[in-house]
Amino acid sequence: MTVRSIRFRMTAWYAGLLTAVVIALGALLFLHLKSYLENTLLETQARRARQICDTLVANVGTTGEAYVAREVAALYGPEKSDRFIRITGRDGRLVYVSGVPFSQAFDPAAVPAAQQSSLAEFTRKQPIGDGPALLIAAVRVRAGGAPYLVEVGTSAAPVETLFHHLLLLLGVGLPVVALLAASGGYLLIHRTLRPVDQIAGKAEQITQHNLSERLPVPATGDELESLSIALNRMITRLDDAFMNSKRFVADASHELRTPLTILRGELEAMVREEGAPDQQRERLGGLLEEVERLSMIVERLFALSRMDAGEAQSEWVRFDLAELATTTAGQMTLLAEDRRIAVACDVGLPVMVNGDRSRLKQVVVNLLDNAIKYTPDGGAVGLRVFTAQGSAVLEVTDTGVGIPAEDIPRIFNRFFRVSQTRAQHPEGAGLGLAIVESICHANRGEIEVESAPGKGSCFRVKLPLAA
Amino acid sequence: MRILVVEDERKVAELVARGFRAERYAVDVAADGQAGWAMVNTYPYDLIILDLSLPGIGGLELLRRVRRTDARVPVLILTARDATASKVENFEAGADDYLTKPFAFAELQVRVKSLLRRGPVSQGGTLRVADLEIDRLTQQVRRGGRRVELTPKEYGLLEYLATQPGRVLSRTMIVEHVWDESFEGLTNIVDVYVRHLREKVDAPHPLKLIHTVRGVGYSLSEDSSP
Repeated sequence: MTVRSIRFRMTAWYAGLLTAVVIALGALLFLHLKSYLENTLLETQARRARQICDTLVANVGTTGEAYVAREVAALYGPEKSDRFIRITGRDGRLVYVSGVPFSQAFDPAAVPAAQQSSLAEFTRKQPIGDGPALLIAAVRVRAGGAPYLVEVGTSAAPVETLFHHLLLLLGVGLPVVALLAASGGYLLIHRTLRPVDQIAGKAEQITQHNLSERLPVPATGDELESLSIALNRMITRLDDAFMNSKRFVADASHELRTPLTILRGELEAMVREEGAPDQQRERLGGLLEEVERLSMIVERLFALSRMDAGEAQSEWVRFDLAELATTTAGQMTLLAEDRRIAVACDVGLPVMVNGDRSRLKQVVVNLLDNAIKYTPDGGAVGLRVFTAQGSAVLEVTDTGVGIPAEDIPRIFNRFFRVSQTRAQHPEGAGLGLAIVESICHANRGEIEVESAPGKGSCFRVKLPLAA
Repeated sequence: MRILVVEDERKVAELVARGFRAERYAVDVAADGQAGWAMVNTYPYDLIILDLSLPGIGGLELLRRVRRTDARVPVLILTARDATASKVENFEAGADDYLTKPFAFAELQVRVKSLLRRGPVSQGGTLRVADLEIDRLTQQVRRGGRRVELTPKEYGLLEYLATQPGRVLSRTMIVEHVWDESFEGLTNIVDVYVRHLREKVDAPHPLKLIHTVRGVGYSLSEDSSP
């Protein structure tokens, strides 16, 4: 799974979004819940403080401070309920302070005095050493002609504990949830995209040679079904276009034959005419050469269109490719010798193949002719036939001009010619290699080429071995 | 000798007729199958040149009718189609030979002559052109009494030229005859072999026998003008 695949990207998005949402929710929850809980606690403390003021401190003039202190201790039992209660008189004189609570979470005696405040009621969060803070509500009251400050507080420990638990839950839960979302999302996308893989795999196999094949259509009723149907329609249109162009080539080459016959016949008659001046003969000869070239192009186009149409395999025979290569090279020796090119035949044991012998001979002829043509005088051409990985291999190498890398993919295209060779060998038409490739395919073989410009080329034909 | 040309392309028909009339044949031309059939029934022909794609009665149908009435007259098919399947069909219908357009007139001439058994049929004997002697049995070549050493392909080429002395043979014909159809389009191979043949056969002698007719082909002849 690559980083750019839809599977990876969507899974990452799923997991990422979910994590972000959970973190945001968690943070909101944290902040709001914390202040809500603390406020609620403080509210409770404030209510207690007011109660103490109303019921006990208000009557201090008649009951006395000692009574108040006793009553507070008896009624509220702050030590048992983990509460902090302090009543301060004028100038910070301590009227009552609760004892060390049962939980020993804080020491009431050590709680610093409240800061001066003009408010009748106020709250504060008093830090206590390393432990949980103390939430304190204070109420100011005047009784018996003197000011009193009643403070009631409780430890924030339960809130903190709750938040520790919540944090733990989020910290452990979040990765688990993200992992679940990611794997769930991945499975879902994987299922959804599986037809895409099948369609892509099939599309990869469809070339101009099997355009009649179609992509699988998943019967899912979703976008993928309509996509594959649309792609299939496109392939049908391509197929039609290809058929049309093939038919065009077949028809055109057919229709050109008769006018070419007339042209050729008339020109030949004019050349033969007695008393024609040599200069005119020469020019007519030039015309005839062009007619011959045209005829050759028509012939080759016709041969190509016949192979496109899937020529019958009735001419298939079992034969020795090695022997075919040697005899063909032998028939062309003078062509090479004429240019002082050494043709090295490295052909060993018989290599039996099934195929159209005369067409495959044309492959050898064309490849050898090209090799000789594009190799400078005094160069070398190699011809090898051997067996490799269950295939018969025919290899033609040369020490010629080579093919520029950017031209290699187009070298088998019809009418394609490397611009440099077009200038040096204007007589060709760029159909030779197209025919070679067509013949190879028609004989269930393949052809490949390697080339180093300036050093030479190597054409390799692979055919299935005969049983 | 009387030849019937059944061809709907008027210019092709004229071309063929003119060529054979120049060789002193009597030539009739029919423009469609109907006319051709009528003429076949009227005159005795020594040979029929038949185009396959005819209006009315098709070439193949005409050929079948001809074969039902006269089994012997040689029929040469001219066609713009050369698919293997139709080739087989033509021979089954009774065609004696077969030529694909565009063709060189020289080739048509050679084939017509061989169908009329006027062309060279003997495989043995000695071919002579001026002081050139080709012994077809031993495949030995002498010029002015001296042995000329040739490679097998050079010999094949010289022998083919010598069997049709004075006739200009196209490079396509030479390729098909001396090599085979796999070499089609590789006409420069003929030029190279002819050049080497000239060095061996003509170079040491003042009388040149091998002639080039540009655009048409090569001929072997005593005359300096082909």
